[in-house]
Amino acid sequence: MIVVEGLGKVFQSPAGLRDMLRGRLFGKPVTALADVSFVIEPGEIACVMGPNGAGKSTLVRILGGLLLPSSGRARVAGIDAGAGTAEFRRRVAFVVGDERSFHYRVTGRGNLHYFAALHGLPVAVARRRAGELLERVGLGAAADRRYQEYSRGMRQRLAIARGLLGDPQVLLLDEPTLGLDPKGARDLRAFLREEIIRGAGRTAIVCSNDPGEARAMSDRVLFLEAGRLHASTSPDRIEAELGL
Amino acid sequence: MSAAAVPRLPWFARVLVAFVRRELAALGGYRMAFVIRVLGFGLAIGSLLFLSRFVGAAVNPHLALYRGNYLGFVVIGLLGTEFQQVGVSVLAQRIRMAQVMGTLEAEVATPAAPWMVLGAPPVYEFVVAAIRSAAYLLGAKLILGLDLSHANWSSLLVAVPLIVAAFSGLGLLAAATTMLVRRLNPVAMVIGSLSFFLSGVMYPVTVLPAWLREVGRLLPLTHALAVLRGALLVGAGPGDLRQSLLALLVFAGALAPVGAGMFAYALRRARIDGSLSHY
Repeated sequence: MIVVEGLGKVFQSPAGLRDMLRGRLFGKPVTALADVSFVIEPGEIACVMGPNGAGKSTLVRILGGLLLPSSGRARVAGIDAGAGTAEFRRRVAFVVGDERSFHYRVTGRGNLHYFAALHGLPVAVARRRAGELLERVGLGAAADRRYQEYSRGMRQRLAIARGLLGDPQVLLLDEPTLGLDPKGARDLRAFLREEIIRGAGRTAIVCSNDPGEARAMSDRVLFLEAGRLHASTSPDRIEAELGL
Repeated sequence: MSAAAVPRLPWFARVLVAFVRRELAALGGYRMAFVIRVLGFGLAIGSLLFLSRFVGAAVNPHLALYRGNYLGFVVIGLLGTEFQQVGVSVLAQRIRMAQVMGTLEAEVATPAAPWMVLGAPPVYEFVVAAIRSAAYLLGAKLILGLDLSHANWSSLLVAVPLIVAAFSGLGLLAAATTMLVRRLNPVAMVIGSLSFFLSGVMYPVTVLPAWLREVGRLLPLTHALAVLRGALLVGAGPGDLRQSLLALLVFAGALAPVGAGMFAYALRRARIDGSLSHY
């Protein structure tokens, strides 16, 4: 379950020359999120949509404990997201589509072994789990190729495998199909929804700009605009309500 | 076995082993860089040989304490500097690189405590630096005839952990500063330059004016070099080196908690301003 109450985030931008001449340490504050509240039930898949800069990534980073809110609070899997405890990081996995988050010169398997150690898995368990997950995400044959040789889709799949190392209760997926071809994106959505989330009884939040992704994956759509929750609706209603 | 049941030290050992395996796997792509580095250091040692012949030829009262062994003096000076460099630069460099590459955010999102994530690189680098230093000393002894016949190895055993602890404290300060200012390591630049000037890397501190010598005593490298040279070149025991050992103990005791506190603050700042992944 995810409970978000009055969540807000204001970033202090760096001071420019004019600010410094006026004796200010920071530039104009930027509001990324303002008074966002919602509840995601256990087993539910919510898609967070909104234009670029709407606050989607800020929201999932706060829910993933990687960013502290300026106001309000968020409880994910029963733990305050701001607490930054190991138990929180065990229950909640943040799957970032950012391909920079792996070590380029190391194989997919080697990368997973390293992250498995960060999850505290013993070596034998880590090897077995990495092997299983690589097979499960369709990277079994490419497991021993260097990450730098992976295609974009393969990198996304490896990121998903990494997110599952600790068998989390909640998955936070930031643009999981970004940059994939239509067929690759469709296959990955079906795989994520049926096998990784539904099949394992997990709760998930998916950030996306793609209405097709929201329809294919989610039970509910949260639409952010300029940092505020503009609408919470069913995926079937997004065209009628949001014009998407 | 779930991660929750893993005691922290075995967990850190696993992280360390996985980190080393990852480093070695990545190293395969940097063979040429490794060869160039070894060659570079070999050339540096070779040039020191001729420098030592030149300096050693003169009767130099400043070197009397070290039995006139300028080669040993300067080799230990450079190895000590490299050790300091590892402490002061490595953690900061790794963090900056991980911020820029985006790996830091993914690593701190795991259940491992931040000290485990960030502790593995310096431990690995200190061990590598120790092995490299031992190899260089051995090479200098076998090839250049470096005289280590008076070395007191028990003093070295006492000194090295204190030196590593003092430099690690500096490293935490440097890493915290790098995270806060999001620039290349300003602490390493300042400490590195001051230490090279005042700690007696290339020349004994006795050549400095008295007031500069006093300033130099505020730097950990000054005491580290005094201990290393005393142990390796003069054969001084821990009792003879107690002043410098005590100074290193004070540096370690003061810098490590201050550095750790400042680093925890920097990490929290990064979670506030969103700079865990920042470039």
